[in-house]
Amino acid sequence: MSASKASRLGEEIWKTRIEKVNAELVVLTYGTIVAQICKDFENDYTEVNKQLDKMGYNIGLRLIEDYLAKSNTMRRCSNFRETAEMIAKVGFKIFLNVTPTITNWTSDNKQFSLVFDENPLADFVELPDDGRAQDELWFSNILCGVLRGALEMVQMQVETHFISDVLRGNDTTEMRVTLVRYIDDELPPEDD
Amino acid sequence: MVIYSFYIFDRHTECIYSKTWLPPPSAATTSQHDIPTNNSTSGAGSANSTDPHHNPMRSARSAVSAANKASDDAKLIFGTVFSLRNMVRKLGGEDDAFISYRTAQYKLHYYETASNLRFVMLTDTGTLSMRNVMHQIYINLWCEYVVKNPLSPVEHKGGAGVRNELFELGLNQFITGLIAR
Repeated sequence: MSASKASRLGEEIWKTRIEKVNAELVVLTYGTIVAQICKDFENDYTEVNKQLDKMGYNIGLRLIEDYLAKSNTMRRCSNFRETAEMIAKVGFKIFLNVTPTITNWTSDNKQFSLVFDENPLADFVELPDDGRAQDELWFSNILCGVLRGALEMVQMQVETHFISDVLRGNDTTEMRVTLVRYIDDELPPEDD
Repeated sequence: MVIYSFYIFDRHTECIYSKTWLPPPSAATTSQHDIPTNNSTSGAGSANSTDPHHNPMRSARSAVSAANKASDDAKLIFGTVFSLRNMVRKLGGEDDAFISYRTAQYKLHYYETASNLRFVMLTDTGTLSMRNVMHQIYINLWCEYVVKNPLSPVEHKGGAGVRNELFELGLNQFITGLIAR
């Protein structure tokens, strides 16, 4: 599917098939969750990142079914480039109403970046001023987990992490997505 | 239109849901022999002695096998559709899909989602493609009542979380509506 076709599809689904909720409700709920996890793990931000990723992973495992149902996808993407288009222009569009830019492909077509011009999760957010959060906490890390979980269900093992975040004072918010491998079909157990 | 049965298999090749409305004609004739009768022990007189099915040992065993029959059927069906699907892809390319096959007795319809959930439906031979029907079951029933149920597990080992009231009710209504049409 071409890039423009994907963005038309995303736009159409967003307009016709998606139930909307108040964005501030989402932002404040997510912010509260992150704040609570920081508290629970006593500001061990490495652990907080891990927990957010794990939560996202569990969301992704289920969200993929909703994505497939809403987007009426009857076939698989034919390559990883098409997958990237669908993630950015359909997936992020229909669930968050943002369309991250796809850039920085590696030459083997296995690694790309999603650059978020806007990130609804990070509205109103300031990272804690303890001198460490700015360097250690990836506030929107839940998104990494969501992608990892969702792609695993459609037989792609990926590695995802943020490499910059405007909340930390970087110029952009950028997530790196790397295809590790395509997962084979599981075979039925042998008869004894 | 007659729908005999419906199966869902997960990506671990396990049958996580099955439902039978009517026995297909071929299965009906064989299962009559398999069903143990109550008088099989007392009524095993000389008249029946030639019939191996009235042997008490045999009927005890067939009671167990009747319980296993459903799960064996599901395994056989999965094996069949899995092989057919792989063969179809080998011959026609990755994008080609195995849709259905037909015998003199029934028609088997197959639909597979990108998340490797497989739907199988057995109908009478005259029924047109049920792919769309199974796609609707996936969208409107599976996603809504199984995936979005927060209490249902992500992996449906042994069918956990699938057989909930809303899903059963929705499926029954949907299928009844189809047959009545």
